[in-house]
Amino acid sequence: MQISTHELKSKIIESLKLQDITPEQIDDDAPLFGTGLGLDSIDALELVVLLEKEYGIVIKDIEEGRPAFRSVRTLADFIAAKRPQ
Amino acid sequence: MSEISIIAASTVTAADLPLARLGQRFGRLDQQSQLALLAVASLNVNFDELAGDRIGICLAASAGSLSTDVNFWNGRDRVGGPSPTLFAYTLPSAAVGEVAIHFRLTGPNLCFVGDDQVILPEAADLLRRGGAEACVCIFCEVVTPECGRVISAPPVAAAHALFLKNRGEGIRTLREFDRDMKALCALIFQTKSAG
Repeated sequence: MQISTHELKSKIIESLKLQDITPEQIDDDAPLFGTGLGLDSIDALELVVLLEKEYGIVIKDIEEGRPAFRSVRTLADFIAAKRPQ
Repeated sequence: MSEISIIAASTVTAADLPLARLGQRFGRLDQQSQLALLAVASLNVNFDELAGDRIGICLAASAGSLSTDVNFWNGRDRVGGPSPTLFAYTLPSAAVGEVAIHFRLTGPNLCFVGDDQVILPEAADLLRRGGAEACVCIFCEVVTPECGRVISAPPVAAAHALFLKNRGEGIRTLREFDRDMKALCALIFQTKSAG
């Protein structure tokens, strides 16, 4: 089941404790790392924890998850595909 | 012996943190780093007036990183494990790094675990040796309630900062026997309030 990108952005903001930013200010297709939202490697680990905690998805190989972490939209698609039913 | 001046002083507590606006990533810092950063920002010093590599940092943390260590440890049974972000702060010197990054200070730095009595003599020595032209001194007192239960200590969350400079025009001269940084910050605050 597809999850809304707005919901996912809210969870990212909460999980990464981002301040002074709202879900509306995050572009669905903007890069999460480097440019765009400007996340770093520690944030990547925090997102891995978020996926397990909120959606029951365990990423054992970080390479497997790498394409998913490109943007909010790719992450939402990844969750929809991997989420346990 | 060259004269060292106290340019600015500040004290902040956990009550000041909700009003802090120190960038999008401030929220991910542990409480000790947040307090250290806010105390330095509250000095209202324009660090760009000196070269970044000529400004040192001396920090003492009364309980090291124990509060964050306890917080991290308590997260081990949560789904997904403890927060990876928190892990980065399970080092007493993490706050030094956050201050250095935020204010682009690349001079020498020192981190002590214990009381505030060593900071001022070490900073003064650094300045007198010419290792730096100025020094940010920070004393952090952070014991969360969870940590307090482990070490039988009362909870506290505060940070005190002083900015020292060689031959600068400031609040007053640093005296040879100035040791108690917390009391010095309080005294300067009282003097400024009365004036």
